[in-house]
Amino acid sequence: MTEKIKRHYRGRRKNKAGELLWGLLSFLLLWEILYLTVKNHTIPSPYLTFLYFPNVGNRLIWHLLASLARVGTAVGVSLLIGVPAGIALSASKGLRKLFSPFVYFIYPIPKVAFLPVFMLLFGLGNLSKILLVIWIIVFQIILAIRDGADQIPKIFYKVMAGYQATPLKNLRYLIIPAILPYIFSSLRISLGISLASLFFAENYATKYGIGYFILSAWTKMNYREMFCGILALGLLGIFLFVLLDIMEEVLVPWSKEETH
Amino acid sequence: MNENVDQRLIDGSGILARLRNVSFDYGGKPVIKNVNLELKKGSSYSLIGQSGTGKSTLLNLAAGFLRPKEGSIEILSKPLKGTRKETAIMFQELALFPWQTVYQAALMPLKMSNGKDKNGMEERVIKLLEELGLTELKDKYPHQLSGGERQRTALARGLIGEPDLLLMDEPTSSLDTVTKESIQELIRKQQQKLQATLLFVTHDIEEALLLGEKILLLNGEGSVLTIDNPCYLRKQQRKDLAFYEQCIYLKELLM
Repeated sequence: MTEKIKRHYRGRRKNKAGELLWGLLSFLLLWEILYLTVKNHTIPSPYLTFLYFPNVGNRLIWHLLASLARVGTAVGVSLLIGVPAGIALSASKGLRKLFSPFVYFIYPIPKVAFLPVFMLLFGLGNLSKILLVIWIIVFQIILAIRDGADQIPKIFYKVMAGYQATPLKNLRYLIIPAILPYIFSSLRISLGISLASLFFAENYATKYGIGYFILSAWTKMNYREMFCGILALGLLGIFLFVLLDIMEEVLVPWSKEETH
Repeated sequence: MNENVDQRLIDGSGILARLRNVSFDYGGKPVIKNVNLELKKGSSYSLIGQSGTGKSTLLNLAAGFLRPKEGSIEILSKPLKGTRKETAIMFQELALFPWQTVYQAALMPLKMSNGKDKNGMEERVIKLLEELGLTELKDKYPHQLSGGERQRTALARGLIGEPDLLLMDEPTSSLDTVTKESIQELIRKQQQKLQATLLFVTHDIEEALLLGEKILLLNGEGSVLTIDNPCYLRKQQRKDLAFYEQCIYLKELLM
C-alpha cells in the first residue's frame, strides 16, 4: 500500500472516530434532557447509570457474550445459506422462476411472529432462538446478494470467457468481489434486526443474554441496571457496526476511495 | 520473441486466422454474409464500416464468443470452437473490474492460465507496466485513473498473456486526440514487439490508416473488401498529403 493511501485511511479513521464521539455525546445529551424533563426514578441520569456499571459489569459481560454468540451463529449461518442461494438465484433463470415468488411473498411478513412456531418445533433452548433470527434475516441476505450479482455487467463475464475461466474462477475473480459490497450492506441491516429480534427471543427460557438481563432488571424494578443493559446493547451494536466498517475498508477498498 | 511467436513460425502457411464463407444473423436478420478473410501472422488490420454493418459481430466471431451460422473459422489451421487463451480482446467499454488495481488487472490473465511461477509472473507484470508507463499507478483502482490510464491498463491486461491475436473494438473512441495518439502509438509498438495479428475495429478513418497494414471495409451487405494501406508501410503521418488523400479515398468508399 502506498504512503498516500495509508494517509488517506488514517484520515478517514480519524473522521469516523470524531463522528462516533459526536454521536455518543448527542445521545447522552438527549438522555440527560429526558432525565431532567421526566424527573422520575424510571429514567436514571446517564451519569448515575455509568457509575452503576461496575456493580453489574461482570454479569453483563457474560450476558453480552451469550447474545453475541447467538447473533454471530445466526448471521454466519445466514451468510452460508444466503450467499450461495443469492448467487444461484441470479445465475439460474429456472431457480429464479421457482423461488423468487416465494421469497417475494415471505419477505414483507413480520417473521418474528413465527416465534411460537419455532418454540414448538425446536424447543425452548438456543436452537429455536438462533433459527428464529436466521429465519428473520436470511431472506434479506438472499435478496441483497441476488440483486448484487444481477448488477455484474454482462461484459465482465465476456472478459472471463476470454480467459476460458472455470465456474470456480468466475466465482473467485468476478462474482465474489462484485457482491462483497452487497454482503456488507446486507450485514449492516441484518445485524440491527438480529439484535432486535434476539432481544425478543431472549425473553423466554434462558438465563443468559442481554434481552433477559434487561427484562429481568425491569421486573426487579432496578432501572439503573435496566439502563446499563440497554446501554450495553447499544454499545454492542455500535461495536459490531464499527467492526463491519473496518472489515469493509480492508476487504472492499475500491468502494469508497476518491475518484480521479 | 515469445513462445507464441515461435509456435507461429512452425506453421508455414503464414495465416493465423481464416474465415470461410462466414455468415451470421441475429434472429433471422443477417449481419455478416458470406465473408471470406485471411489474417496473416503478425499483420495488422483495421476494420471499418458504417454503424450496424457488423464490425463488432465479426470481432466477436473471431474471438469465439459467437459461432458462425454458416461457414467456418480456423485459427492456426484448427477450427475455432470457442474462446482461446491466445486471443486477447479489448472492448470499447474496457470492462476493467472495479475491484482490481492496475497491477491486479494485469496479473489476472496469468493467474487464469494456472501459472505456478509466482515470481516469474510478477516480474512479467512489472516489466509490462513499466513499458506502458503504469508503474506509478500500479496500486490505483480504475475509478482513480484517467481515460488514457484506464486504456493502458486494459492494454496491459490484454498483452500480458502475449497473445497471437489481438482484437480491439473501438478502444480509443472515448479519448481526446492527444491521449488517443499516444495509445495508438503504444498499440502499434506492442503489436510489432509481440508480432501478434491485430484486428482493430474503428470508425475513425485516420486511426484505421495509422494502425492497419490493410484496411478491411465492411460494406452494408455484410461482406468485406480488403484494401492495402500504403500509409502504414511508409509510416506516413496525419500531416502528410498522401495520408490525407487516402483518408478522402476511404471516406468516399464508405459512403
